[in-house]
Amino acid sequence: MSMLTRRRSEARQTARDLAPKRPRTRRRSFWIGVAFASPFIVGFLGLFAYPILASGYYSFTDFNLFQSPDWVGLDNYEQMANDDVFWKSLANTLVLAVMGVPLTIAIALGGAHLLNTPIKGQPLYRAVIYLPSIIPIVVGGYLWRWLLNTQYGFVNYFLSWFGISGPSWLQEPDWTKPAIVLVVLWTVGGTMIIYLAALKDVPHELYEAASIDGAGPWRRFLNVTWPTVSPVTLFQVIVCLIAYLQIFTEPYVLAQERLNNISSGPDQSMLTYAMYLYQNAFVYLKMGYASAMAWVLFIVTLIVTLVVLASSKRWVHYGSK
Amino acid sequence: MKNSFFTTSRSRRLGVIAIATTAALALAGCSGGGDADGPTTLKFSYLWSGPEAEVLETIIDDFNDSQDEIVVKGVSSPDQQKQLTSMSSSNGSFDISDNFGENVGSWAAKGVLAPLDEYIESENIDIDDFAPAALEQMTHDGQTYALPIAVHSFQLLYNKTLLDEAGVEPPTTMDELADAVEKLTVTDDSGKISQIGIGDANTTTTLTTLGFAFGGSWSDENGPTPTDAGNIEAVDWWQKNVVDLVGADNLADFKAGEGQYLSAEDSFFSGKAAMIIDGEWRAASASEVAPDLDWGVTSIPAATPELENSTQVTSSTLFIPTNSKHKDEAAQFLAYLLSPEVMEKFSLTLGNLPARTSLLDSDAYGDLPNFEVWGDALTSPNAQSLSSAPYGAEYQTDLGNAFDDVVRGKSNAEKALDYVKSRSKSYTS
Repeated sequence: MSMLTRRRSEARQTARDLAPKRPRTRRRSFWIGVAFASPFIVGFLGLFAYPILASGYYSFTDFNLFQSPDWVGLDNYEQMANDDVFWKSLANTLVLAVMGVPLTIAIALGGAHLLNTPIKGQPLYRAVIYLPSIIPIVVGGYLWRWLLNTQYGFVNYFLSWFGISGPSWLQEPDWTKPAIVLVVLWTVGGTMIIYLAALKDVPHELYEAASIDGAGPWRRFLNVTWPTVSPVTLFQVIVCLIAYLQIFTEPYVLAQERLNNISSGPDQSMLTYAMYLYQNAFVYLKMGYASAMAWVLFIVTLIVTLVVLASSKRWVHYGSK
Repeated sequence: MKNSFFTTSRSRRLGVIAIATTAALALAGCSGGGDADGPTTLKFSYLWSGPEAEVLETIIDDFNDSQDEIVVKGVSSPDQQKQLTSMSSSNGSFDISDNFGENVGSWAAKGVLAPLDEYIESENIDIDDFAPAALEQMTHDGQTYALPIAVHSFQLLYNKTLLDEAGVEPPTTMDELADAVEKLTVTDDSGKISQIGIGDANTTTTLTTLGFAFGGSWSDENGPTPTDAGNIEAVDWWQKNVVDLVGADNLADFKAGEGQYLSAEDSFFSGKAAMIIDGEWRAASASEVAPDLDWGVTSIPAATPELENSTQVTSSTLFIPTNSKHKDEAAQFLAYLLSPEVMEKFSLTLGNLPARTSLLDSDAYGDLPNFEVWGDALTSPNAQSLSSAPYGAEYQTDLGNAFDDVVRGKSNAEKALDYVKSRSKSYTS
C-alpha cells in the first residue's frame, strides 16, 4: 500500500467518524430519488422494456393473443421467407421510401429557402406551411381520399387546367404510391421548419466571402449552404427514412374500404410492411408471426440506418472539423 | 435528533406517496366495479351505431322495464379490434355483444366465446326456427357459440327502366344473364363504359355467391377448397362475360369513377349499372336514397335447374364472451333479444331479414319493397354460407386478392384460385 492511498483511506476513515450518518442518508436519498423517478421507471419497464422483450419471445411462438403461446422455434421466420405477400409488402415499403425520402429532403430544403427570404408576411407563410403537420393524419388522409377522387377530386380538376387528364390515383396500381407520397409530402412543413432553423445558422460571412470570390447563387448553395446544413440533412434523412419504413396511417386510410374490411389497394399496391404486420396481428390474430415481422423490420431499419451513417462520412461536414 | 427524524419521515412519506401515486395510475385501468346488492348490471357492447343503435336502446329499455333483476346498459362501440382485445383480459368489459357469422369459428377456437348450448336449453330457445344456412356458421367442434339476430341473403337486383329499354327480361339462367349483361352494357364513342350490364357491390361477395350458384363450395371439413370446379366455373364466367366483354382496363376505369356504395352516386342507384347482386339492406336504402328508381329483384340465375334459388347467407350474431361474470343473466337477455317480437322489431327497422324463419311470413315486412325474394331464399336448400372456420379471415383476404387479379385481367380463374390454394397451406388451423 503506497503512502498516498493509505493517507486517502485514513482520510476517508476520519470522514466516516465525523459524519457516521451520511452513507445511510445517502442510501435513503437514493431510494427517495428512485421513488420520484418511479413514474418513468415503471413506465419504461412496463411499456417499453417488457413489450420489446415479450415480442422477441412471441416471435418464436404460435400465439393468438387469447391462448398461451406455443413454442415453434424459427417457424415464423421460415414462413416469412416463403410468404409472397410479406415480400410484396417489403418491396412496396422500400419503393415508397426511395420515392419519398429524396423528395421530402429536396422540397423541405427548397421550401426552407423560400421561407427564409425577407418578404412581407413571412411569419404567416411559415405558419401556413406548417399547418398540415398539426392536422391528425387520419383526418388529412380522409380529406385526400376526396381530393384524389377520380370524378370529384380537386387534384385532377387542377391538372385539367393544364390539359392533363389525371389518373385514377387510388384505383390504378401504378398511381397509388405517388398518391401516398403526395399525402405524406403535404406534411413536409415539419421537416421544412427544421431546415429553416438550420439555414438561419449558416454564418453570413461565408456567403459574403463566396460572393466576393465570384460565386453565384447555385455555387453559394453547393459550397456554403449544403455542407453547412449537412448534419441537419443527415438527421432528416434518418428520421424520414425510419418514418417511411414504418409508414402505416396514410396507406391504411387511402386503401380503406367499406365496413373497414381488410384492404390493401388495387393489386395490393398500398400494402406496406406495417400494414401487413397489423393485419397479421389484429385481423388474423397471428401475434407470433407479427412479432417476428416486427423484429425483422427492426433489423432492416437498423441496417439501413447504419448504411446511411457510414455514408455520412463522405458528405456530412461538421463545423468543428 | 428530533429534527432529523422529522425530515426522514417526511421524505419517506413523500417517497411512499410517489410510489403510491404511480401504482394508482398504473392500476387505474384495471379496476372493475363491484357488485352492489340489488339487480345485476349487464353491459351490452354493440357494433351498431346511429339510428340502428337508437332502436336497440328502445329494446334495452323495454327489457329493463319488463323485469327487476337485471339492468342492461347498452354501449355503442363500433370498433371490432377493441371488442376483440377487451375479451383477452380475465375481467370482461362487457357481458354480451354482437359480431358476424364468419368470425364465430375463429373466435370460438381461441376460447373467446362462451358455449351457448346449456343456455339454449335453459332459456328454451327454439333453435330449429333459425335459418339453417346461418346456423351452420354458429357452431365450432359441435358446440354453438353464437346465435343470429338478423340474416342476409344475396339476390339479383335490376333496373326495370333500363331492362325495358333494351327489351331484356329478368334473367333466370346463367346464359340469359350473360346475354342480358351484353345487351345492357353500353360504351360511348371513345369506347368508355357509360352503362354497365352488371355492377359489383363487393367483388369477394359477388364471386363467392356466384361460386355457390354454379354448384361450387368454398370449403369442406378438411379446410378451404378454392379450386372446386364450380368456383372456377363461376370466376371464369365472370371473367368472360363481364371483364372480357369490355376489357379489364376499361372496367377498372369505370370502377374508379363509381360513387360511394349506397350513396345517390352508387352506380346501381344512379342508373349506371343495370343489374347488381346485393343483400336485402339495399331495399331499405333504395327507398331513402333513390326513391324514383324503378327496380326489381329476382333470384340469382341458375346455372342448372338443380341450382335454382342459390344464394349466400351471412348473419349478424349475438354472443357472450368467456370472461363475462354474469353469463346466466346475459343468456336471459340474449333469449329476450332473440324472441320473435323483439327480433321482428329490430330487423324491421334495420331492413334486415329476421334470423327466425317463422317471422318471414309476418305482415310487418310488407312495407319493405321486394322483401320476400330475399326472405324466401333463406329456406332454400341451395342457400349456403362461407365457413366460419379459424382460417376465415386469411382465406377471404386471399380470395379477395385473387378475384382482384382476375377482374384486372392479370390472371385467370384457375391460376388465381390455385394461388389461393397454395396460400391456404400457411393458414391458422
